Order: sequence, then C-alpha cells, then structure tokens
Amino acid sequence: MAALGARRLLRPGRRWFSETVPGAPSPPASPLYPPVVASITARSKAAKLRRLQRFNERVHAAATVEEKLRLYGKLQRPKYTVYPQTFALNADRWYRSFTKTVLVPGMPPTAAAAKPPVAMAGASSETGRAPEPRAEAPGVAEAPGVAEAPGAAKTPEPSAGAAPYPDIGKLRSLACDALLQESFYQNKKRPFLYRDQDHTPGPFLTQLVSTLAASLSGRNPLLAASSLDLNPEVNYYWHHGKEVVVHGHRKGRVDPVRFQIDDSPHLQIRVPKQLPEVVPLESDLGDVPVIDHKPSKLPLFKKQYENKVFIGKTKVADPCCYGHTQFHLLPDKLKRERFIRERLEDQIEVVYRSNGIASLFAWTAAQAMYQGFWNEADVTRPFVSQAVVTDGKYFAFFCYQLNTLALTAETIKNNPRKNICWGTDSKPLYDVVEDGNVKGFNDEVLLQLVHFLLNRPKEL
Amino acid sequence: YPLFQRGGPQLRIFRPNFFMLAVRPGVPQPEDTVQFRVSMEMTKLDIRNYLERIYNVPVAAVRTRIQYGANNKRNHRNQRVKKPDYKVAYVQLGQGQTFQFPNLFPEKEQDAETRSFDDFRDKFMEKEEQKQEGDPRRGGVPDWFGL
Repeated sequence: MAALGARRLLRPGRRWFSETVPGAPSPPASPLYPPVVASITARSKAAKLRRLQRFNERVHAAATVEEKLRLYGKLQRPKYTVYPQTFALNADRWYRSFTKTVLVPGMPPTAAAAKPPVAMAGASSETGRAPEPRAEAPGVAEAPGVAEAPGAAKTPEPSAGAAPYPDIGKLRSLACDALLQESFYQNKKRPFLYRDQDHTPGPFLTQLVSTLAASLSGRNPLLAASSLDLNPEVNYYWHHGKEVVVHGHRKGRVDPVRFQIDDSPHLQIRVPKQLPEVVPLESDLGDVPVIDHKPSKLPLFKKQYENKVFIGKTKVADPCCYGHTQFHLLPDKLKRERFIRERLEDQIEVVYRSNGIASLFAWTAAQAMYQGFWNEADVTRPFVSQAVVTDGKYFAFFCYQLNTLALTAETIKNNPRKNICWGTDSKPLYDVVEDGNVKGFNDEVLLQLVHFLLNRPKEL
Repeated sequence: YPLFQRGGPQLRIFRPNFFMLAVRPGVPQPEDTVQFRVSMEMTKLDIRNYLERIYNVPVAAVRTRIQYGANNKRNHRNQRVKKPDYKVAYVQLGQGQTFQFPNLFPEKEQDAETRSFDDFRDKFMEKEEQKQEGDPRRGGVPDWFGL
C-alpha cells in the first residue's frame, strides 16, 4: 500500500523534472536529511572507525601543541617499555622493526668527506672539493677568500682564531687533561659495587664535552646559543602494529601495540635551529627488518603509566627545541668484559646500536611532536640529531634522520618513507692511562667528536 | 664427612633430579629460542651448565618461569585434584644457531594397495548406510509415523 502511494507521488514528480530541464536534475538548495554515517556508540567496526576519525579530528583541531600532546597521550593502557640500554639479544633488529629504521653502517657520506685533515695546507684543495651542506663548508668557503687575499703562499697554520680548522693539538690536550684529572690526579676512594661508571667515566665525559663545546663555540655560533643539559629525561610514546588482547575484560579486541621509551642520556645539547637534512625525505637506503613475533618474545614487558612525550628539561615553549647531540654512558651491567666472559662478543656492538637507534628515535620524534607533527600529520621536513654512545673508553657515533612518524597500522600502509640511522662501530679513544700519561690516544675519534659538535645548518 | 672447603676433595656425590624436556611452544617463539620443561629445583645457571657441558649446546640467554597447575578439577569424592606445577625455560641459543621443533607425526605416503582398500571400505560403508535409510519418497520421515 505504501509502495503504491509512493509510486503515485513519484509519477507527477518525474514529469515535472522532465518538463523543466531535460537531462540534468537540479540539486536541492540544502540537503533534506543529515548524512548517513555509522553510529558512534555501536559495537561495530564501522562505529570504531568513526570514533577514531572523531578523535583524529579533535587532535587536528587542537589550538596549541600542548593540547595536542595532552589529547595524544590521554588514554592510558598497558604498553611495552622499550629500554635503549638493554642486555636483550639482537635488540637492535627488534628496535629497528618497531621504529621503521634503516641502519647504514659508517657515517653519512658528507660527514666522512668533510672531515678536515689536521695540518693540511692550501685552500686550493678545498675549492676543488664539491660544495657540501655540512659544517665545514661555510668555514671552508671563507678560507680561500681569507688565505688567498693576503698571499696564497701562506699555509694556514692550525691556530685558534681565524684559521678554518680547529687546533687538534689544543683539543687533544683538553681531552687528555680531563681524562687524567678524573682517573689519575684526583684522589678518589674505591668505587662502590657496580657503580664504576659513575666514578670515573661519567665525570670525564661531562668534563670533556663541556670543555670541547666551550672551546668550539667560537667556531660554531649554534653551540654558543645552545643549551647543555645534564642528565635530562627524554620520553616518547607511539603505536606500531596491531594485536589481539589476550586476557582481561577487553579480551578479543584488536588494539594497537603501544610502546614507550623513557631514556636519560648522560648529556644533551639542544639548539634553537635545526640541523640540515642529510639525504632527501623520500630516500630509500635499505630494508627494515620485519619480525612477526610479539614484542614480548624479545623480552619486552608491559606496564601502564603516564604516556609522556618529553624532549629533556623543557616543555614546548623553549626556544632550544631542536636537538643537536646526545651523549650516552653505558651502565655497569653492559660492560665489555661481561660479554666477553659469557662468549657473546657479537652482542657488544648490538648494545651500542640499540642504544643509538632507540634514544635518537625517541628524541627526534619528541622534537617533531613539539613542532605539532604526529602520526596522522606526518613530518614535512626531516629531523636530524646525533648521538655518541660510550662506556668511558670506547666511542660509537650515530646520526639519525627522522623521515616519518606514521607508524600505526593504518598510516604505515601507504607510507614508503623510512627513518635512517647511520652508525659506526665502537672505537677506543685511548689505550691505557699510566703514570700521568695517556697512551695510544686515537685522534680519529676526537676528530669525529669535534666534527659532531661543529655540525650546523647551512645559513650559519 | 669432613667439612668441605674450597679447593678440597669433593667426597660426596649429589644426584639431584635434574631433567630437561624439550617441548613444542604453545605460542610461536623466535627462531633462536627453544622451550623446555625442567625440574622445579633447577636454576638458570644449572640449565645453562646442563646444556653446555652435557650436550655442547652454546647458550646465550636463559629465562625461566613456573607454571602453576590448576586445582579446580574434582574427583568422584568431590575432592579437588591438582595438576602438577612445572618450570618452563626459554633458552636462546648462541652463535646464531636456530631451532624448529620437528613434526613428530608426519603424514605417511599411502601406497596403491592401502589407497584402494580405503576406497573400497568407504564405498561399502556408503552402501550400508543407504540400506539403513527408509523410502526416499517419504522425505526422511520414519516409517512408524502414519495412520
């Protein structure tokens, strides 16, 4: 009956439409009914999608970055705590799969080429080198102008001041002084049990970095405007992948896998301007390992607490919101001797790499979140930071470029970008300290450290 | 027995009940992880020494947990019956070795004779079942149903 009535109403309507405009029906001025969308409160997948979309719109529409961070980490659920300094076997492979990072051995090519040899004379060789967007390029470009004007025959002697190269002899003496002061001259009692790292290598690292940064700040104006943090806290919270809840009242539901990194590097340098990108945003330098097993097999454990995103010592309003270099000190639990005693020599490098990857990912991602990016609003420019991981004697250098924050199950599908981490093996800075002398000082390690500290954007 | 001091002769022999049983993991484990059920008195150090010295298996890491056996079942006298507790050890192998629990009951290849016998048996059973059924025109209704 209702159908007959509807047909009777339709017939005159159809004829009216065909009389006025043959072919194109005129659209109504405003829609007669609200759009047909899924419910918000139903127990269905469409309703869940709609709720997620509403949450994403709320975060997008948030006025300030603090509000965005507050909404992002509002819901607390059990999450895996990822420790950068871990004794778990092959942890760096797992961490690379959690953070979608490609590990490239060695330093980035521009950094390796731009390392200046110490007593090299002649600006001509520098002009022959291709212009590089690296720290020495502005200094190098000035050097031909400066050296050629007074007289090309004058070889630029390494001396503090107008010379383009830092005085390696002076810096070496600074490093040796710090080392000897901590380990030889200063009268210290025996270290407490399992506190060896706080006794000598910790203060040595602090002293070394602060003196080097102070002496190189004349060369690098970015260092002069930087902020050196002692024992800061770096936190980051993210989702990656999907899992089914196993126990509890939420059993059977599909949840994102949540991770949290709480890291406290020994030292950190934050700067007001960002470091330049090493490779373009969309570059592909390798493969990310794919691990099918649950993260708890690593072993990794779940805990529920505050979802913190923190850059170290400051909140969003600080001008020094970009990262420059972090310095990590390995704890006593992860000493080289312990690995050698347990015949796990290949895990020594894994410890350095996992620390570098996890800490730098957390730091760069926190910097990106402080600028308002998150996994639905991916980064538009790469965030670059550096780190030095050491146990007092052996130094390993890492450089990280964050190209993407979109690691959740939905956003990772069509995302070809990968994060990239360049890392070296650990090399000793010195062989042994005896009788007031430092034997076997390794200049390459010091040079790499100096180069890290001198890194600055192209404009400066 | 005289009191034992370090470096002295070991005159007593202890025979602890140390056993290890390799089991198939209930949840998928990484390739380098082997799952064992071990005696409750064994520690991680004991497990590592057991594997390294008796079987020459390089062990990188050992993690253990104790599985509680449930006490909910009841017997004919309504007394609770406990399933025994046992300790599970997850051993990660060193030197890049991997382990996959083998399939202990693989499907056997049937030769022509057994296959033809199985076919004959299936056809015979089909014929027997057909004989048992009633008139197909009654549509499955039993024959005692009627006037």
